[in-house]
Amino acid sequence: MFKNYLKIAWRNLIKSKGYSAINIGGLALGMAVTLLIGLWVVDELSYNSYFKHKDKIAQVYQSQTFNGNTGTGPAIPRPLEKALRDGYGDNFKHLIMASWTNDLYLKYNETNLSRSGNYMQREGPELLELEIIKGEKDGLREVNSIMLSKSTADALFGGDDPIGKTVRVSNEHDLMVTAVYEDIPVNNTFNDTDYIIPWEQYLASREWVRNAEDQWGNNSFQIFVKLADNANMETVSQKIRNVKKDLNEDTAEFNPQIFLFPMNEWYLHGNFENGKQVGGRIKYVWLFGIIGAFVLLLACINFMNLSTARSEKRAKEVGIRKSIGSQRRQLINQFLSESFLVVVFAFIIASLIVLLSLNGFNELSRKEISFPWNSGIFWLSSLIFILITALVAGSYPALYLSSFRPVDVLKGTFKAGKYAGLPRKILVVLQFTVSVAFIIGTVIVMQQINHAKNRPVGYDKEGLIQVPTFSQDFTGKYDLMRSEFLNSNAVVEMSSSSSPTTRIWSNRGGFTWEGKPEGFQEDLAWTEVSAEYAKSLNLKIVEGRDFSRDFASDSLAVLINQTAKKYLGMENPIGKLLKDDDEEDPNPPLKIIGVVEDMITQSPYEPVKQGVYVFDRFDNSSYYNLRLNPNQSASQNIAIVERVFKEHFPDIPFNYDFVDSEYGEKFAAEERIGTLSGIFTALAILISCLGLFGLTSFVAEQRTKEIGVRKVLGATTFNVWNMLSKDFLKLVIISCFIAIPISYYIMNGWLQDYPYRVIMEWWIFVLAVVGALAITILTVSFQAIKAANANPVNSLRTE
Amino acid sequence: MIHIQNLKKSFRTEEVETLALNNVNLKVEDGEFAAIMGPSGCGKSTLLNIIGMLDNPTEGSYKFAGHEVGGLKERQRTELRKGNLGFVFQSFNLIDELTVFENVELPLIYLKESKSSRREKVMKVLERMKIAHREKHFPHQLSGGQQQRVAIARAVVTNPKLILADEPTGNLDSKNGIEVMNLLTELNQEGTTIVMVTHSDRDSHYAHRVINLFDGQIVTESQNRAVGAMM
Repeated sequence: MFKNYLKIAWRNLIKSKGYSAINIGGLALGMAVTLLIGLWVVDELSYNSYFKHKDKIAQVYQSQTFNGNTGTGPAIPRPLEKALRDGYGDNFKHLIMASWTNDLYLKYNETNLSRSGNYMQREGPELLELEIIKGEKDGLREVNSIMLSKSTADALFGGDDPIGKTVRVSNEHDLMVTAVYEDIPVNNTFNDTDYIIPWEQYLASREWVRNAEDQWGNNSFQIFVKLADNANMETVSQKIRNVKKDLNEDTAEFNPQIFLFPMNEWYLHGNFENGKQVGGRIKYVWLFGIIGAFVLLLACINFMNLSTARSEKRAKEVGIRKSIGSQRRQLINQFLSESFLVVVFAFIIASLIVLLSLNGFNELSRKEISFPWNSGIFWLSSLIFILITALVAGSYPALYLSSFRPVDVLKGTFKAGKYAGLPRKILVVLQFTVSVAFIIGTVIVMQQINHAKNRPVGYDKEGLIQVPTFSQDFTGKYDLMRSEFLNSNAVVEMSSSSSPTTRIWSNRGGFTWEGKPEGFQEDLAWTEVSAEYAKSLNLKIVEGRDFSRDFASDSLAVLINQTAKKYLGMENPIGKLLKDDDEEDPNPPLKIIGVVEDMITQSPYEPVKQGVYVFDRFDNSSYYNLRLNPNQSASQNIAIVERVFKEHFPDIPFNYDFVDSEYGEKFAAEERIGTLSGIFTALAILISCLGLFGLTSFVAEQRTKEIGVRKVLGATTFNVWNMLSKDFLKLVIISCFIAIPISYYIMNGWLQDYPYRVIMEWWIFVLAVVGALAITILTVSFQAIKAANANPVNSLRTE
Repeated sequence: MIHIQNLKKSFRTEEVETLALNNVNLKVEDGEFAAIMGPSGCGKSTLLNIIGMLDNPTEGSYKFAGHEVGGLKERQRTELRKGNLGFVFQSFNLIDELTVFENVELPLIYLKESKSSRREKVMKVLERMKIAHREKHFPHQLSGGQQQRVAIARAVVTNPKLILADEPTGNLDSKNGIEVMNLLTELNQEGTTIVMVTHSDRDSHYAHRVINLFDGQIVTESQNRAVGAMM
């Protein structure tokens, strides 16, 4: 029986090649989009799958409240480690302190690399379940040891056995390689951990880290834990909640809340707002999941519409089958088998489309997704996907077609009833509602990106490069390097800073100043800079003056930004002092000498944070900021800068970033969404138009005789075109009226996430309506004009 | 085989109700060949559809082989139709996408017969209808007469008790028409009951009995003396 169904289905496909192409092509496009999105969603959901016990791994997080605003993050103070070990140690199998991920220079013989990694306590590798390829598992036992990832070891040692060899780290100390571990794959946290150095080495080499042992206010570290077998994440999290508050009175005013943030949630649920977890990337998983489902639905609607529109052609067959003994159930099965066949073909084509577009898609989405040929789960899911699509696309036509009464259809005079076309119209409205909403959504996403891109940055990012200086070798050499670079003619100005131009690495509080409100808990972005910082960035001084080498007192001077001026409540900030509120051992007060224009260092969608730029009197920078000579090509400038750099730091690799491209990275996430939703919108429209094209040709075919009669009676081409087009245009107009409020509501919600956002203007909606109508007219006109220009004699003869 | 009493059938549209059959009483015995005649719109096809269980009467009783079938649901009617009834239509009603063999095979598939049994029965009936050499052809590759022979083959392949023919020669030339009527007569002589709707006086002469309908009522019934006179 099934064979018989497939046979008929196949012959029907061959017979109506045009409809079959539209049906299969549209479905294939829809399925390809859904498959790509499906692969992306699976990739997102499988983040951190490298860690077999990820349900037991967590990071210790802290929420603190400043002036009523609660901030949450992984930065914790050193004494918390001891407090957790002493008071709650039973709950943890492993508990380790770790530094932030840092770039360090690793040198062996002539090979010199810049790699990222962490300082960790001894049980770190075990907690991370690292797969040790060579050397010892307990590789962090000795203070002068280093563990390397396989790729780093290969890059550094080539074919040599790295175990026991000595690596020079940032030209400061020599560490012995004790182990090589398998690289942690992409799509996992710690993927960029190329080396691990013992925590004891961190303590030995950094005075500030040693000093932090009792500093509850110095949140500069991380703690990772693996729970004991019998411990429950939620329960332990509750137990440790007030540990800091209970042990330290000084910070209790910020109401510190300590809790465990499970690894399962790091990637997709990592956003906190006012101390509450509010999702994160999961919203994109949902967004694209819904887009995928809708695009597939659009393609299924084409299938439904074209199948039911052609019902008159199949009516006779239904009648015959029923008269010779077919039950309705059997006919439903038959039509479902047909849709199954179409969907299988579409799936094969969709898979090919996915294969061909996967590279481009990976590039766009910054993924490394490969086609899962070997995955049994993939094929099983594909089968379920095919069955569900076949069911969604085929169920309505199957129910509709199988409902024909043989008495009505066998005489060959069957005409579908007055309302038979209504479901089709509703489906077309649904299709265009989705398409129009997609158009509006995409335009608003693009607008929001452009809105943020056009926002004044506050400094000149063109022709500016930043060179990392993560080694103590650079200490004390700023002046020398500045004159060398300026003399080289490749650089017109240079400064140094403790964080990159496009980030804030440090925040501080604990100051008093004249007029500070009682109980005010300040939180200031803190950047240490050289005297030429504003000059090199072309950062405008709006009040007071810039740092000057002529005044020795400027070593204790600060510049503040415009937001900080308001934040600190200073009408006339120039000359005011920021004093350390530590009464026992205060740092010297800092004198405000100028106000600089706000510059965007964090998200371009957020307000600028209140910031202070402090004179770096210890010459302890993290970056050199070089303004390149605009009269020479960038490549010439870079070559000269590299040569000068290498003359002075032969053992340190020369790395640099263009500030404008670093800044551009801030838009990457939104741009990806914009580009992807643009592509999906285009495909959604294409699929809807394919369906409309098929329906128009069907209507034109069905009304051939009517068109002939009308033409004989004097109808012009325009009259016929108008007759055929207006019904579809009406449907699209209805769609617009439904889509506009829905998309306004959704996009308004989306924009609320961005404090610096575009206003949704009326013309966007008008543009979407005009666009949808134009596309409809183009699609419908081809068939309508063709039908209108046909010779009426021929069309009358068809009856 | 067929016992119809006080049968009525009306069609209701939004505005009017049309009485297609009004108080029809009819008996057709096993092995009989009955022709139903009458002008267009008199209710012939409606009566045939009800006899063929494609439609239900509005009122009255219809017993098929002793079972009341008048109020059966579609599902039950389909079950009863299967294997018991064969249809021959004026417009042949072959499925265009199936070959001759596959068209004839279809009722046997619905009866869940095995592949080998289907092959044997289909070939036997195709040979009998002298169309076996065309088994792999599609309907549009055949002449009208050949298509109707395929339709008859499909109607008889399950060896039904009753064949219902709705103007079986209406779309054929006289030579092919005579051939079709001879085939039906042969089947009748072998024991199959036949009820045929026709406009053609010539065709009606093949029947044992001619029932004349007018405005939904049986107005006359006459016995043919010389059955098969045109053979």
